[in-house]
Amino acid sequence: MPTTDLLQGTLDLLILRTLALESMHGWGIAQRIQQMSKDALQIGQGSLYPALHRLEYKGWIQAEWGASENNRKAKFYSLTKTGQKQLQAELEDWGRISTAIALVLK
Amino acid sequence: MLKEWLTRLRFLMSPKPNHEIDDEVQFHIERQAEEYIAAGMTPREAGRKAVVAFGGIQKARAQSHEQRPSFFLGSVVQDASHAVRQLRKSRGFTVTAVLTLALGIGANAAIFTLVNAVLLKNLPVVDPSTLVRIGNTNECCVNWGANGDGIYSLLATDDWHQLQKNAPEFEELAAMQSGIGQIIARRDKTQESARSVRSEFVSGNYFRTFGLKPQIGRLFTDADNVEGAPFVAVMSYDMWQNNYASDPSVVGGTFWINTKAVTITGIAPKGFYGDRLSSTPPDFYLPIESMPVLANAQHVHIPDRRWLYLIGRVKPGVAMTPLQAKITELVRQSFAATTTFSDAEGKRALAKAKVVLVPGGGGIQEMQDSYASKLKLLMWISGLVLLIACANIANLLLVRGMNRRAEMSVRTALGAMRTRIVRQLLTESLVLSTVSGMAGLVVAYAGTRMLIAMAFPGAQSVPIDASPSGVVLAFAFGVSLLTGILFGVTPAWLTSKANPADALRSGARTTTSGASLLQRSLIVLQSALALVLLVGAGMFIQSLNKLRNIDLKLNSTNRYIIHFDPQAAGYSPAQVEALYRTIEERFHAISGVRKVGISAYTPMEANNWGDGVQIQGQPDHHNWASWVRGNAEYFDSVGTHVLMGRGFTIQDTSTSPVVAVVNQSFVKKFFKPGENPIGRRFGSPGPVSSGDFEIVGVVEDTAYNSATWKNHAMYFIPMTQRIPESARQRPIEKDTGLYAGAIVIQTDRPMDNMQSIARQTLAAINPNLSVVKFQTFDEQIADRFTQNRMITRLMTLFSILALLLATLGLYGVTSYTVTRRTSEIGIRMALGANRSSVVGMIMRGAMLQTAIGLCAFGIPIAWFCVRYIQSQLYESKGMSLAVLTIAVLTLTASAAAAGLIPAQRAASTNPSKALRTE
Repeated sequence: MPTTDLLQGTLDLLILRTLALESMHGWGIAQRIQQMSKDALQIGQGSLYPALHRLEYKGWIQAEWGASENNRKAKFYSLTKTGQKQLQAELEDWGRISTAIALVLK
Repeated sequence: MLKEWLTRLRFLMSPKPNHEIDDEVQFHIERQAEEYIAAGMTPREAGRKAVVAFGGIQKARAQSHEQRPSFFLGSVVQDASHAVRQLRKSRGFTVTAVLTLALGIGANAAIFTLVNAVLLKNLPVVDPSTLVRIGNTNECCVNWGANGDGIYSLLATDDWHQLQKNAPEFEELAAMQSGIGQIIARRDKTQESARSVRSEFVSGNYFRTFGLKPQIGRLFTDADNVEGAPFVAVMSYDMWQNNYASDPSVVGGTFWINTKAVTITGIAPKGFYGDRLSSTPPDFYLPIESMPVLANAQHVHIPDRRWLYLIGRVKPGVAMTPLQAKITELVRQSFAATTTFSDAEGKRALAKAKVVLVPGGGGIQEMQDSYASKLKLLMWISGLVLLIACANIANLLLVRGMNRRAEMSVRTALGAMRTRIVRQLLTESLVLSTVSGMAGLVVAYAGTRMLIAMAFPGAQSVPIDASPSGVVLAFAFGVSLLTGILFGVTPAWLTSKANPADALRSGARTTTSGASLLQRSLIVLQSALALVLLVGAGMFIQSLNKLRNIDLKLNSTNRYIIHFDPQAAGYSPAQVEALYRTIEERFHAISGVRKVGISAYTPMEANNWGDGVQIQGQPDHHNWASWVRGNAEYFDSVGTHVLMGRGFTIQDTSTSPVVAVVNQSFVKKFFKPGENPIGRRFGSPGPVSSGDFEIVGVVEDTAYNSATWKNHAMYFIPMTQRIPESARQRPIEKDTGLYAGAIVIQTDRPMDNMQSIARQTLAAINPNLSVVKFQTFDEQIADRFTQNRMITRLMTLFSILALLLATLGLYGVTSYTVTRRTSEIGIRMALGANRSSVVGMIMRGAMLQTAIGLCAFGIPIAWFCVRYIQSQLYESKGMSLAVLTIAVLTLTASAAAAGLIPAQRAASTNPSKALRTE
């Protein structure tokens, strides 16, 4: 199965986007990104948790312990207000950059 | 929002707790395993696969920690605490390094602080940069006649008035007394006894020129400095605070100054110590025009008596070179009006006359000039000590770095990054330097205080700040940091670059000498520098000993010197003869007193009166001699022996024929060999005056003024006889030469209570007769060697320090070498080498470096440097072989001691144990 290396910083954007819909635990985030990218993007655990913790340290997402779908104690992440703003800004940036890259590659 | 901030704050303080990360990871793995089970795996296999798929749990933790914003800060703290642990583990190294650096830094900071405070500081006045001094030398007190070099720094009252009138380039031009003196002051309507205090007579615009505001009251105006104006004085802030508890009623109050009523108009501003740096600043400032009455000083209004220093504030944009030419011209015009410069010879001298303008912001540079050469020498010396200290630190760190080679190799082999190791070592160096720097600060504070106490013994209020300046401390800190970093990181960098496997393999087994060329060069350098300092100290000690052993031709045993001032007590010159009689009688009445001498001044004090001398019947050779007045018992009281003829007797009174006693140098200077001086007449040059005195005796050359004044021609005249020349010129009331300055008491045993006895005896004669200064004769003599003693002590101190550091350095390197060669020594001993050959081998290595340092560098450098301190030494012609030998022996002995300890240790190596070490 071909996987794509993620651009630096892109993972943060993907996590923020995923969490914009609903709060989720780490495993769920990885699964969701994999599903939505139709298995093209597989997030290694090695990068997922450092990224989550980085975002948490930055105050963009916050964590709460809750019960998971299999009724286990799990850590659920959700966007903070700053996180929402950050997502908006990063989406705009992404749009600009991808348009620009597309123009160059055309 | 608040919660967000709280979270951030929490993470800044501490990272996520590990168990939180672990729980999260655990959940992830379980959830993944569930997926695998759902896909059909057995629970066991699913669990295993989930763990493998996740990767290292430890790694996840570490990576998570690295995301923490303050991760870098945390690692620095970690490095620092690790460094502190390392340093504490090797306590010997740390203490040595910290002490070495602290002494090096502290000594330098102390010296620089003193240099800064003494040589570079401006007066505490407004805008010191626009102040200009007319005159550049420290010629002092009251002078007349032409100066040989034609350069004048003292000017007469008339000259000052002329310059004030004709040099509009000066906004203000202030005049001040050059020879600051003593007055007797007593506060009116109080019980306080009269005290002898320092006074300076200054012009009315003195304080205005400096831009000063009074602490309270008012300072002088031009109206205060007018002949006949009411007597006024300004008191110094220190005097006001220390003796009158800042009592505001002092201002406007009356003081009896030299028995005349004087009103205090104000208190000088806090911190103002007059126009020159001094360990005894003036306590009272008085207007110049009150001096003739208050101090019976006739020179104030004599046109060719030069006694004032001038400092002025120039207007903006005035160029110095043309101003100096103009002032010189004005001074010549003013001089031309005086008798000194009227005859043919005077006119020649006038054409040469010149004044030099110098920046006046630092005031009169008297103290600066007398200390400059010594302070500069001390700067060099402390610089050398710092160099030795740095070499020592470098060596210690190199040794340490090499010793930790194996540790570094292991860490590299275990995957530590080179940058991380270097950073760790850098942190260690920084911690070490910081600790040393702080210890150095303490040394600097204490050292500066010690230096000031040594430089100005007995001074109560030296206007010098003992706190080291920021620049000085930054410099010293910088040097120590640089040394630490350079020599701490270099070996680390070198070892971390080495292949860890190689380093580990050659770990302990080596037959090389162990110490690198750099280390050995540092030892050579240290011993060379230490020798230079030792030789310097030796030269100073030798010089001081020579000075102390000069035969001063006097006897100071059981002699006490009481300085007093009959003039300040209100006696007129006509009244002093009776006073001296009374003093002689009263002191003789005290049991134990043998001789009572009274004189104008005494041997070995900073005083000198001189006059031109012509022998009757000989042409005037323009020669001169110093002279002193003394009473009948004066020669006996100071221990001067009469060699020919007689000394003075009580029959030599104001009414008897005028006689004089001369010293041997006088005879040598004015008479041919074999000529009998007794019965010959001399006096100040002139057909009449050259017959004024009849020589009745010859005494030996007792040292006056300084121990080193050779061939000092002197004559002595009876205390109460007027000099006929001055009797022809002025009435006795104006003859201030009759005033005595000192009483010399010889007792038959040591009398500790002499000071209080002297006070009581004088006060009983007249309450206004107070003791200006009391010292034993020995103390007075010792005072004349203060500067020599200070420099000798400091040199000795620094050279001992240098010796200590150099020895320590050699010990460190030798003992390191021994450790490195343990297994080699073990093999040698196993093969039959005996103790003495091992000791010999180690000692040879240690002594070789010292020998190279001494012979190749130390001795030539010392030889070369001695010429630079020659001017400060007494009667030394180049290097003294004795001093050099002692210095070399001392160094060799300490080097041997430093080498012997590790050599003994090496010899005690147990071969089998040594071979097992690895």
